[in-house]
Formats: sequence, C-alpha cells, structure tokens
Amino acid sequence: MKSLLDRPAPTAAADLTLRRGAARVLIDNWTGTSTVPSRTLYPHQWSWDSAFIAIGLRHLSVRRAQQELESLLAGQWADGRIPHIVFNPAVPYDAYFPSPDFWQSAHAGRPSGAPSAPQTSGLVQPPVHALAAWLVHAADPGESRRRGFLDRVHPRLAAWHDYLLTRRDLGGAGLAAVVHPWEPGMDNSPCWDRALERVEPAAPEEFHRADLDHGHPADRPTDLDYGRYVRLAADYREAGYDDRATRHRFTVEDPCFNALLAVSELALAAMARELGRTGAAHAERARDLSRRLVDRLWDDTAGIFRARDLATGAMVDERSISGLVPLILPHLPQDIVRRLHATLGSPHFKAPGTRLVPSYDLTGHAFDPQRYWRGPAWFNTAWLIHRGLRTHHLHADAERLREGFLTEAGRSRFAEYVDPVSGTARGARQFSWTAALTLDLLSTQPKEPTP
Amino acid sequence: MLKTAAQEQLLPGDTLQAKWEFAQQAGYDAIELRAKGDFHFASRIDELQQARKDGVVMPTVCVDMLHFFGAFDADLRRDAIAQMKSQLTVIAEIGGLGAQTPASYGMFSRRLPPFEPPRSEEEDREILLAGLSELGEHARREGVTLFLEPLNRYEDHMVNRLEQAADLIRATGLDSIRIGIDSYHMNIEESDPAAAIIAHADLIGHAQVSDSNRFQPGAGHLDWPAWLGALHTIGYDGHLAAECRLTGDPVEAVRSIPAFLQRSGA
Repeated sequence: MKSLLDRPAPTAAADLTLRRGAARVLIDNWTGTSTVPSRTLYPHQWSWDSAFIAIGLRHLSVRRAQQELESLLAGQWADGRIPHIVFNPAVPYDAYFPSPDFWQSAHAGRPSGAPSAPQTSGLVQPPVHALAAWLVHAADPGESRRRGFLDRVHPRLAAWHDYLLTRRDLGGAGLAAVVHPWEPGMDNSPCWDRALERVEPAAPEEFHRADLDHGHPADRPTDLDYGRYVRLAADYREAGYDDRATRHRFTVEDPCFNALLAVSELALAAMARELGRTGAAHAERARDLSRRLVDRLWDDTAGIFRARDLATGAMVDERSISGLVPLILPHLPQDIVRRLHATLGSPHFKAPGTRLVPSYDLTGHAFDPQRYWRGPAWFNTAWLIHRGLRTHHLHADAERLREGFLTEAGRSRFAEYVDPVSGTARGARQFSWTAALTLDLLSTQPKEPTP
Repeated sequence: MLKTAAQEQLLPGDTLQAKWEFAQQAGYDAIELRAKGDFHFASRIDELQQARKDGVVMPTVCVDMLHFFGAFDADLRRDAIAQMKSQLTVIAEIGGLGAQTPASYGMFSRRLPPFEPPRSEEEDREILLAGLSELGEHARREGVTLFLEPLNRYEDHMVNRLEQAADLIRATGLDSIRIGIDSYHMNIEESDPAAAIIAHADLIGHAQVSDSNRFQPGAGHLDWPAWLGALHTIGYDGHLAAECRLTGDPVEAVRSIPAFLQRSGA
C-alpha cells in the first residue's frame, strides 16, 4: 500500500506538461533541416540520434521528421554507408572532436564514394533508420505519398543495408561487423575493452578532446581509451575508409547492431509492399539475420546475446544491454524470448535507482554507474526494450518500463542518461532523443502497424 | 485542443446569430469581429449586445480600416488611435478580450519602389511607441488587450517579425499589449515559425490563421503540425482565428477549417 501511495498517480495534466516540454526540446534543437542531439555537447547531426529523433518528431511534424532522415541521407556515401556524423559547416572545427579536418571525408573518403559535401565522419552507427522511416511514413501515409517520401528513401536505405551485409560482413557469417567502438553506439562499453587493448593509442598531443569542455571527465571515456579511438579512426582514414583495404584492428559482431539491421530489413519489406513491389527479399534477409544472430551470438548458458570478437573468434564475456535488444526481433524463438525476459528481471539488469535498463551488468566487474555505457541507463535503449516487450506481448512489463521512462525523462529534464544506482540524471539535458522518444511513448498507439 | 474562431465576413448568414449557428455546426468556438472606421464598430453596439445575449461568442475584434496608428500622416494617425480606442471600449463592453491591429498596412514597403520610406527608423519607433502607449493605457483601463500584429514586408515596413513587436511591447512596459501572430505573415518573415513562437511565448496573446497562400488553412503548404505544436508547447489558450481568403466553394472552405486544424494537431 505504501509503495502505491508513494508513487504519484499519472494524470492528464502531467502528460500535457511532459508533452510540452518534449516538444520544446525538439523545437529548440531543430536547425532548419535536422536536429542536434544537444545544443551544448553535440552540435552536428548524428546518425542513430536522427533516427530516434525522427521517431518522436513525427508526432510534432511529419514534414520535419522526413527532413531529419533525408538530411542525414544527403551525407550518404556512394558505397552505401550512412556516416555517423554529418557536419554542420557553420559550426567551428574546435566545437567538436574529431572534427571534419580529422576525418577529411571529401578527400580521404573519395575512394569509398564520400560526397564532396557535406563533410562527414567515415564510421557508421546502428541501422535503425529504415525502422524510423517506416514509422515516419506510418504517422501520415497521405503526406508521405504526396511528398514521395518512401520512393526517395527506400533505395538509399536498401543501399545502406547492402553495404553493411557485404563490405561489413568481415566474419563471413552473414552478420555486419563494427570496426570502431563508436559504431555500435555504445562507445565506452566494457564489451570493447579486450579488443581495444590490442590497439596502440594515439599520443595525447595528437588530439584535443572537445567532449570534456562540456561533459564531466568522470562520465566520459578515459584519455587512454580516447587515444585508442583516435588511432582506429586514423588508420581507417589512411586506408581511404576502404573496408577491403583496411587492416581493421577492431572487428566485432554486435547483437544490438545486427538486431536493428534485421528489424530495419522488415521495415524495408513493408516499404517495398507499400510502393507496390515485393518485399520478399528483405523479409528473407530479416529472417536470415535473426537466425544468424541466434547461431552466432546467443549464449544459452548466460541467457543473453554476446558480442563476438572477430580477432579471436570468441564471444565477449560481458553482459550488456546490447545483448537484450534482440528482444525486438519478432522471429525470435519463444524460449529465447523467455530467457531474455528473465535476464531483464535478474540482478544483472534490475536497477535500484531507475526503471530504465542499465547499459551494463550491475554485478559485472567493470560496472560504473556514471561512466558512458559502463552502467548508466539510456532512454533510447529503454525504448527499444519497450518495443521488444510489446512485440512479444509482455504488456505489463512494457507498461512499467514506459511509465518509468516518462517519469524519469520529465524529472531529469530529458537527460542523456541516468545513474542506475542513485537515479541521478547525468550528461546533457534537453537531449533530443530522450525528448523525441518521450513524445513517442506519450503517443504510442497499441495498434500501430509494425513492419 | 485549441479553440477556433472565424472572422464574421467569412460566415454565411445575414445576422451574427445566423453566422453563429453556421459557425457552431462547422466546429468553431467563436466569431472574430471586424471593425470598420468612422466609429462604425461603436455604432453596432446594440447589435453586438443582442448577439451576446443570444449566446454568440465574440472574444476578439480585428481592425478593418486603411489607416493605422503608425500612419505617416498625423491626422490619419490621430484618427486611427481614436478608432482603436473606441474599438477597445466596445469589445470590453461586450465582454471580449481585445482588439488586433498592425502598425500599418499597405502604406509602405521597403521591398517595393521607392524603397526608402519618408520617415527614419528612429522616427518610426517614436511614433509607434507613442501610439502603443496611448492605446495600451486605454486597453488597460478597459480591462482588455491590444494585439499588435506583425505583417509581412510587402504590407508594412515597420513591424514584420515577432521580435520587433516584442521589442516595442517591452519598451512600453504595458501588460495590456500582446503580440497577435498570424501564420501567413510568419511564414514569410520568420526563419523558423515554431521557434519564434517559443522564443516570444510570454508575449503572444492572439493568433490568426491562414495558409502560405493566404487561403484557408489546408489550401497551402504551411507545416501546420509544427506551428500548432509550438502553440501547444507554450500553453497558448486563446483562439485560432481564421482570417483568410477562400478558394473553392466558399461555404465548404469555411466549413473545412476547424476539422483541418484539428487533424493538424490543434
């Protein structure tokens, strides 16, 4: 009874306040063609941020949501890759590192088909874009058809997936590999520690970290790790960002990355059907990807998906939220769904300070409640888990997660992430994807068509 | 949901009561009145009082004259101020909220020959502040609000953007003057209409709606969800008053507006 009384009853007024606050963040962070993740820390356009932002922005303005994705696609390379950052030319180079003069995309990326403008990074981020594009279309199919939205984005998104499943199939097993810890989107996760140890760090005088100008050093990666990030990116650049020519020193198959690829293939299938074409090839790819994920990355003993380090061929012995995200796959065998559901509720991931899901095992040796992706709970991963729970009809848990998400997003002023032990908000505030996904969860239609 | 109003001349019917009947059926919450010069609005007081008794909701009035409080000519200025004061008094008498006026309309455009107005910017500002202060004081005494409407660059050379209206209003120090925004003019003048609404949230008192081509909402290409979303975000609780030209069958065009705005997020 006490816990019931302690918990504030959700009210329509609270929802309205939250909706207004979230919309305000998205209006404030809009640049005219896309949305910055945060006015303070991230002044350009980020790939998977834009996808999550579009998912929420569609409730504020379908047209802006379409623009968000299309402005990102304007930075796509001829080899199909969608770069993880599209730089705003109006922002000075020292506002963010690595800046355009580090990546040198127009010059160094030319062999791989980088555009001469805009300037971009050469890395990628998880392929959640097709899912986002489908949801944006579904928000107003009439407006989408009128503007020819799917006609334009479908071939580009298909090329993006082709890139990942050909150039990036570095393990030869039909899964996409990431070649830098920034690529799976969970930069500083303990999952990458062993693989990173093999990388000789760049000397500190070779770079200046702009992330520490606004972020707290205790939250951010260490200088040593940062030196390794810089080394990997510089090596890739020196090889012209050519995946066949680069001797990648960091190659990992990540479960979240590949699960999102599979779900996005389903979205491409739905788009193809909407465009009057057959979606069979995409649907088949989605099933193949799901099967391979289970074959290659499922750890039946631990009840979680693991990353696989392609340098050693071994599964990475860490539990991270990446291993829970495949719950989003509709084709997942039911026994795996049950195991993932159990892991989600286990001491590894049931946090005392938040109803969101921590990014890393609470009992793990490398757990840190504050440092990037080594424990803190993010809102985008909570949204993915929520979608996964709904996909498998685990509605009570989905609703609990949704309520927690909305409460904590509002309380934290749309923080970037949350300390899972104390519940304290960390990182940037007025963070765009937190606000966007808040709008989405406030507007969620239980019967929204899934791809 | 945001409330909608239609300007009276858009509504079919010979009387305000008949127009109100139509307006309600079409889904409107109110009628916005129009006030001609020569104290014509004041001469309608009996008609307006009766309409009020009959339940017609008339929260706002929009000036319908060819000279304004920012006129170059001193006599026209004096007359415009006298007319606006009278309009504020009448709207107060019938229990309304306020009256809307631009600084000027059709008097001068810096985008059309001869490009340079006969009065300096400093003189413009002095004239506008004097007029606004006098009208704002009058509105305060009457317990209503004067809504200052920025117009696009082809219709007025002095107040085109929300920030210019906000600057003048702040300079008067009067709570009885607020910005009356208009989606059509904002589309031309604001680089990001939604962001402009957020930036001047505390001063926005009234909103008029028409599409990018001045026709009824839905007939052009404005991003209505973003514009209306911004109004929701600031907690705007006034009306969206349709002030527009009509394309297509005029009755159907007027009838379509509340439903269109609702579908667009109002």
